[in-house]
Amino acid sequence: MADFDEDQKKLVLKIVFYGPALSGKTTNLMQLHSQLTPERMGELMVLETKDDRTLFFDMLPIGMRSQSGLDLRLKLYTVPGQVQHDSTRKAVLSRADGVIFVADSQRAQQHNNAVSFDNLDQNLQKVGIDIESLPIALQFNKRDLPDIVEEATLRERWKSTPWTPPVMASALQGYGIIETFQVLLERLFVTIDAEHGLNCRFGIDKAEFVARLSNAGGEVHHA
Amino acid sequence: MRDFEHDPSLAELLDPKAISQLSTLLSSLADSELQLESSAGSGPATPVELNLDTIGWITGDNPEPRRRAAASLVEVVLHYVYKYRLAANLHRSTTEASFQALERQNEALRQSETRYRELAESLQDRVDSQVEVIRQAQQELYESARLRAVGYLAAGVAHEINNPIGFIKSNLKVANEYVDELEEALPEQHTCQDTLADFRALLEESLAGSTRIASIVADLKAFSSIDQGEYVSCNINQLLTTAMHLVQTSHPDAPEMTTTLSDLPDIPGHAARLSQALFNVLDNAAKAVEDGGTIAVQTRHTNADTIRIEVTDTGCGIDAQSLDHIFDPFFTTRQVGSGTGLGLTVARETITAHQGSIDITSDPGQGTRVVIELPAKRK
Repeated sequence: MADFDEDQKKLVLKIVFYGPALSGKTTNLMQLHSQLTPERMGELMVLETKDDRTLFFDMLPIGMRSQSGLDLRLKLYTVPGQVQHDSTRKAVLSRADGVIFVADSQRAQQHNNAVSFDNLDQNLQKVGIDIESLPIALQFNKRDLPDIVEEATLRERWKSTPWTPPVMASALQGYGIIETFQVLLERLFVTIDAEHGLNCRFGIDKAEFVARLSNAGGEVHHA
Repeated sequence: MRDFEHDPSLAELLDPKAISQLSTLLSSLADSELQLESSAGSGPATPVELNLDTIGWITGDNPEPRRRAAASLVEVVLHYVYKYRLAANLHRSTTEASFQALERQNEALRQSETRYRELAESLQDRVDSQVEVIRQAQQELYESARLRAVGYLAAGVAHEINNPIGFIKSNLKVANEYVDELEEALPEQHTCQDTLADFRALLEESLAGSTRIASIVADLKAFSSIDQGEYVSCNINQLLTTAMHLVQTSHPDAPEMTTTLSDLPDIPGHAARLSQALFNVLDNAAKAVEDGGTIAVQTRHTNADTIRIEVTDTGCGIDAQSLDHIFDPFFTTRQVGSGTGLGLTVARETITAHQGSIDITSDPGQGTRVVIELPAKRK
């Protein structure tokens, strides 16, 4: 869970992009890297191998410093989607503060989405995290492709879960990415605020938290 | 780097040699002194960042833009060093995790394999013991049915012969007396005198023959013991003697038998079955000496608890291979039809049922010795 360093007033949060193979997790992160203009952003660390498939993970550090002096960091990780890299997924997932689940909108990929979500549930259990209390944002990517499941269907399907509504996105075209990230930040704020008193101790409210960490420097791309 | 999430310090990413090498290279590029250090010191310094953390400083009395350029160059280098370390550490930790998972699986597999092997072994033991129980039950059933049949037959034969032989014997005696009367009444020089003498000889021969028949019938009755119940007090010497008679009469050229019988206490037992067992052993000995040899039968009261019967013959003997199977049901070395292969099987079953033992040793061509030991008291 959130790593708080009392001496340096440094709070590090870990966000993991999860989802089936080739659903666009790394593309999401690359888009965030190019679209976001947060106060502080580090280098995008991409550890990919041949065919641009993620073998280990990608990592992007971003950060802000509150007026009260809190050094707030987000580390955004992607996991490898391929089934065989399960131990890497588990290692990256441990101590996560939030998850962005990147699902594939194509009809043919619905089974893979379900398998991957099930895998997320199991791995969260293995690393001791309760899926019900973890902030999760759900994104349906690849809206630009033909033969995709309709938005209404997807909304209906996820209606009764804590992760509704899913965000429609196209990482390649660059829309829906910041929105997804913001949905997660809003949910993340609630749990972190409860645990570390962001508002009462450091004077950061939800709006500031979301705005300053996802400052897109202008128009947020919408579908 | 402890794990892949840990924010590393400069010393964790670069060893002192690499740091001094970088410093030397930077200095020669800048054509003036530049140092990469982990703390700022008191002079002019520009921070070196990695993942938003300041992890080192470029110091040197140089213009700030030059230090900035040097810092950025070091940042590029550190980025790739960090990336490599990250991948290596994650690889190690996932490999270890996979290995541990494999070890656990292996251990679980080994345990379940052991469990199944134990199960299979105990199952095999149980099957074996059940097979043994069934085999014994079958044999006892077979044996008791056979004994009963033999017993009924013997009793029937004995009963049927006993009456006629009785009046034949008494008639022959009376006939003998008539011959005496006739001899007195006949004149001295009568021509029938020779016929009469011959007639007397015929009658005596017949009387001897019928006496022998009566004794065989008596043996048969003793052997079948049809009127005796379960366990009774048995005189082994007596049972042995009747069995010997029976064997001698059932073999064409009655084999020569010598006996050394000690005084024995009566032992509890099933007389018919013991007779059958002794008969079977003696019958085998008789068959072994068909082409010459003798049979010696000995009984001894070896100690308070045991009596010992030894039947030794100097016949053809048994080869080692056959000896291994001698007690197997239906194992026979004789021609088809001449033996059932059950004789010694039944003998052993009977002796075992009486808590005794039977042991056979043999030298082919020299002879065979059968030792039977029976408890003197019922356990």
